[in-house]
Amino acid sequence: MTTTSVAQVESGRALRAPARGRRLRRRATLIGWSFILPNFLGFALFTLIPVIAALGLSFMSWDAYNPPKWIGLANFTRLAHDPLFWAALQNTVLYAVGHVPLTLALSLGLALLLNRKLKGIQFFRVAIFFPYISSLVAIAIVWNLLFDPSTGPINALLTHLGVANPPGWTSSTTWALPAVIITSVWKDMGYYMILFLAGLQAVPGELYEAAAVDGANAWHKFWNVTVPGLRPTTFFVLVILTVSSFKVFDLIFVMTEGGPGRATLVLSQLIYQDGILNGQFGYSSAISLVLFVMVLVITLFQYRLQNRRQD
Amino acid sequence: MKRPMRMLAVAGITAAALALAGCAGSPNSDAKSTDSGSGGDAKTTLSVSVWDYAATPEFKALFDAFHAANPNITIQPVDVPNAADYEAKVTTMLAGGDSTDIITVKNLTDYSGYASKQQLLNLNSVEKQVPADKLAGLDSYKYKGTYYALPYRTDFSVLFYNKTMFQQAGLDAPDNLTWDEFASDAAKLTSGSGANKVYGAYVHTWNSLVQGIAAVQNDKDLNDPSDYSYLADQYNMMLKLQKAGDIPNYGEATSQKLAYQTEFETGKAAMVPMGTWLIAPLLADKAKGVSVPDWGIAQLPQIKSGGKIVTDGGPTGFGINKNSKNQAAAKKFIEFAASEKGAEAVASIGIVPSYQSSAITTKYFGLTGMPQDDLSKKAFAPDSVKPDQPVSPNTAAIGTVLNQEHQLIMTGGKSVDDGLKEMESLVKSQALSQ
Amino acid sequence: MATRRERARLGNAALYVLLAALLVVVLLPFVWMLSSSLKNNVNVLTVPVQWIPHDWKWTNYRDIWTQIPMAGYLANSALLAVVISFLQVLTGSFAAYGFSKVRFPGRDALFIAYLATIAVPWQAYMIPQYIMMQRAHLTNTFWSLILLQAFGAFGVFLMRQYYLTIPDELTEAARIDGLTDYGIWARIILPLSKPALASLALLTFVNTWNDYMGPFIYLSSNNLWTVQLGLRQFIGQYSADYAMIMTGSVISIVPVLVIFLLGQRYFIAGIATSGLKG
Repeated sequence: MTTTSVAQVESGRALRAPARGRRLRRRATLIGWSFILPNFLGFALFTLIPVIAALGLSFMSWDAYNPPKWIGLANFTRLAHDPLFWAALQNTVLYAVGHVPLTLALSLGLALLLNRKLKGIQFFRVAIFFPYISSLVAIAIVWNLLFDPSTGPINALLTHLGVANPPGWTSSTTWALPAVIITSVWKDMGYYMILFLAGLQAVPGELYEAAAVDGANAWHKFWNVTVPGLRPTTFFVLVILTVSSFKVFDLIFVMTEGGPGRATLVLSQLIYQDGILNGQFGYSSAISLVLFVMVLVITLFQYRLQNRRQD
Repeated sequence: MKRPMRMLAVAGITAAALALAGCAGSPNSDAKSTDSGSGGDAKTTLSVSVWDYAATPEFKALFDAFHAANPNITIQPVDVPNAADYEAKVTTMLAGGDSTDIITVKNLTDYSGYASKQQLLNLNSVEKQVPADKLAGLDSYKYKGTYYALPYRTDFSVLFYNKTMFQQAGLDAPDNLTWDEFASDAAKLTSGSGANKVYGAYVHTWNSLVQGIAAVQNDKDLNDPSDYSYLADQYNMMLKLQKAGDIPNYGEATSQKLAYQTEFETGKAAMVPMGTWLIAPLLADKAKGVSVPDWGIAQLPQIKSGGKIVTDGGPTGFGINKNSKNQAAAKKFIEFAASEKGAEAVASIGIVPSYQSSAITTKYFGLTGMPQDDLSKKAFAPDSVKPDQPVSPNTAAIGTVLNQEHQLIMTGGKSVDDGLKEMESLVKSQALSQ
Repeated sequence: MATRRERARLGNAALYVLLAALLVVVLLPFVWMLSSSLKNNVNVLTVPVQWIPHDWKWTNYRDIWTQIPMAGYLANSALLAVVISFLQVLTGSFAAYGFSKVRFPGRDALFIAYLATIAVPWQAYMIPQYIMMQRAHLTNTFWSLILLQAFGAFGVFLMRQYYLTIPDELTEAARIDGLTDYGIWARIILPLSKPALASLALLTFVNTWNDYMGPFIYLSSNNLWTVQLGLRQFIGQYSADYAMIMTGSVISIVPVLVIFLLGQRYFIAGIATSGLKG
C-alpha cells in the first residue's frame, strides 16, 4: 500500500497524458510538501542537521570544545580494538534479542485482552500503563530489592520452588542482563499496549462479523482479521521497539550503571561516557555511527518486509 | 466525560500552567540584588556554576561572605540540579560557548578534563596572591606547570567510628590503626543477625576506598598500568571481611542502595572509612533532632604501623571560564575563596576549607556537635593528603575501567589476580587511545 | 443462547482473576512509591521492605510545596507538555497525511530520513543541538525544548502508519465530491483517527512530562525548572531524600492520570463482546 501500490490517486490519474501528468505531478508535489513542511522545518533544523553533524564528527577528533580535527577512519580502527566497545555491542544485541520479542508479545496480548467493553476495564488499562509513568528511581529501587540475592522475594520464591542455587541477579555478571531485560519488558509493555489499542480501533468490525458468519473460531479471527488489520501498527511498534532497544540507556543506568563490571554496559552508555564525560566526542560519534548503521539496516529490512506483505 | 467538560479541563490546565510557569523561583535562590552601593565602582554580576544550590549551603555561605566584603560584586548561581550530572551539563555548556564566569570544579577528574582542553584561564598570577603554603590540595591543581583552578575546600579520608559501640565491645578507640587491626576490630564489633545485624564496618561501594587508598599508601599512581599487584593485599582483606560478614556484601550494598551516612547514623556499622564531607551532614542531622550516635573520627588505617599518616583526598575549587567577560572580578572571587575569610565562611557550616590554620581548626571544632576528644583533632591533621587518582589527560577514561574491575573483583565476577591483570591491559588500551 | 452467555460470564470471571494477578505485579513499585512517600527518609530503604509505614508521615505532602517550589515546577512541566504535545499532534498528523495519502516524487526518501534519525541515540547529537541553540540564544528558555521536541519523527511515523489503515477509497470518494486535500484531512481523516491522535497525545505528554535530560541540559534558572528537574534536588552529592522524591513523584503522576483518563475513552471498540463497531 505504501511505495509500490498503484492505488495512489494522484499518480493513478496522472497516467493519461504526459503534459497533464507533469502538471498534476507538480501539483501533487506541492500539496504533499505543504502538508509535510510545518513539521519538516522544525525537524530538519533541530534534529536532522544536528544528527548529520554528529555523524560527521565520527571522522574527526573532537573534545567538545576546541576545533575538531579530521582524522579519517582512525576512530573506527580504534573501535575495532576496543574491548569496551565489543562488550557493549554484545550486551546491546543480547538486550534487544531478549527485550523486543517479549515486549511485542506481551503488549499485543494485553491490548487484545483489554480491548473490550467490560466493567472497570479503564482501571486495568491505566494500571498496566503505570510502570511506564512511575518514577525511574522508584522502579530501580523496587526491582533491585525484588532481585536482591539473599533477601529478595524473587529468590525466596525460586528457593521455595526448589531451585537450589538461585541466581545473583544484579550482583552477578551472568544474571544482571536478564534482570534488566525483565524489568524493562515490564516497564515498556504498557506503552506499546497503548499503540496496539489505537491500532485495534482501526480494524473494521464488519470483518469480524463476516468471519463469524463464515464460522471462523477465535484463532482464525485473530490470524485472518486482526493480524492483517494491525500490520501497519505492528510495523510501527516493531521499528520503535527495535530502535529503542538498541538505544536503551535510562533504565539500565539507574538500575546497574552498566555493572557489575561491564555486564550491562550498553552502547548508549558507552557513547555518553566516552563523549560527554571523557571528552572524546569524535570517538563516541563513531560508536553512534556504528549503532546507527546497524539499526538502520534492521529497520530497512523490516520496512521491506512490510511492503512485500502489503503487495 | 462530556466534550465541554473535557475542553474545559484542557483549557484549565493550560491557563493554570501559563499563569504559574516561570514562577518556580526557589525561595532561597533569588538574585542577591540588595546592594549596599558603596564605593561608586561599576557594579558587576558574576555567574558561578554550582550543583544543587539549595542543598549545598557552602555556596551560599561563600557567596554571601564575598558579597559582604565586595558590595559591588553580586553573585548569581547557575544552578545544576543534580550533582551526579554536573559534569555533563558543564561540558555541554562550555561546548556551546557559554559565558558563565566561574566554573566550580567538583573533583580532580573533571579538573583534568578542563585543564587538558584548556577551557579555563591560567591562574598562576592569582596563585601568587594566595597563602599557597596553607592551602591543602593546591598541588593537585598544578597541570603542566599551570594552575587552572584554586581550591576552597579540601576533603580527605578519615575513619568515622561509633564511640558507644567501641566501649560496649571493650575496645580502645581506633587510634592509628593498621588495616589488619582495622579488620580484627571489625570482626569484634560485628554482632547479631537478620534485622538486628550490626556490622563492624561499612566500606562503601566506591573503588577509591580500596584502590585509591592502597595507591596513596603504597606511593603509587593509579594512572600507571604497569603493575597493579600492590592492590592485591587491600582487596584480599576486603573480600575476607565480606566473606566473614564483618562488612556488608558488595552486591547487596549496591542492590539495596546502602547509604554510608544511614549505615553509620542508625548504628548499623561501627566504623566507616569516609571523606571528611560526612561531618557536615552529621552535624546538620544532630541539629535537626535526628538521633545521631556518639561519634568521633580517627586517622585512616595505614598499611604499616608507626609511620606517617597518609590519606587520600582532594580539593574542590573554582576556575575561570575563558569566555568570561568579568575576569578581574572573577579573580577577586577566587582569591577570596582561597583566603582565610573564605575559609571561615565555609568552616562555619562544617565544611573543611583548604586554608588551614590553628585558628580555623579551633573554629571548626567549636561547631555544635563536633567531637571534642584529642583523637578527633589528631585525625584532622594527617601528615600527607594525596589525590587517589592524580590529574592526567585520560583520568576519566581510566577511572571508568578501574571502577568496572573493582565491581568485578568485589562481586566475585573475577578473582583478585585476574581482575588486576585485566585492569592492567584495559587501562593500557585506554591510555594508548588518547 | 444460555450456554453461550454462561461461557462468556465464566470467561469474564477468569479474565478478572488474570487481571487482578497482573495488577499486583504492575502496581508494586507504585505501592512502594506511595508507602515511601509517607515515611521518614531513614525508613525508606530498609530490608526487608516495609510496605506499610510504621509512623505515617502525612506532613511530606504538605512540606514539599514549601521545601521546593513544587507548584511552579508542575506549571512549567504542564506548559511544556501541553504545548509540545499539541504541536506534535498537529504537525505530525498533518505531515503524516502528506506521507500516506499524497503521492509525489521524493516522498519515500524523505520518509526514510525521518525514520533514520530515530536510529541515532540522543547522546550523539545532544552537544551539536546545544551549540545551535546557544548560537540562537535560546538556551535557558522554554523555546529550546519546544523547538527540539515538538517536531519529532515519532509522531509523523505513528500517524502515517495509522493513516495507512484508512482505505484510500474513502479519500478518493471525497476528492470526487470536490473536497481539497486539506478538507479531507480536516473533515475525514482527523475524525477517523481519534484513537491514534489520542495515543500520540498521551505518549508525547508522558514523555515530555517525564523527560529529564532535555530540561536538565537546557534550563539553568530555577524558575524554569520542571518537576523531574526539581525533584533531583533531593538527591544530594552524598545522600538522598528518597521520601521526598517519592512524595513528589506521586504528585507528578496525577496529571498524567488525568490525561490518560481523558484520552483513553477513544480506545474502545469492544470487538470481543459485541463484534460490531460503532
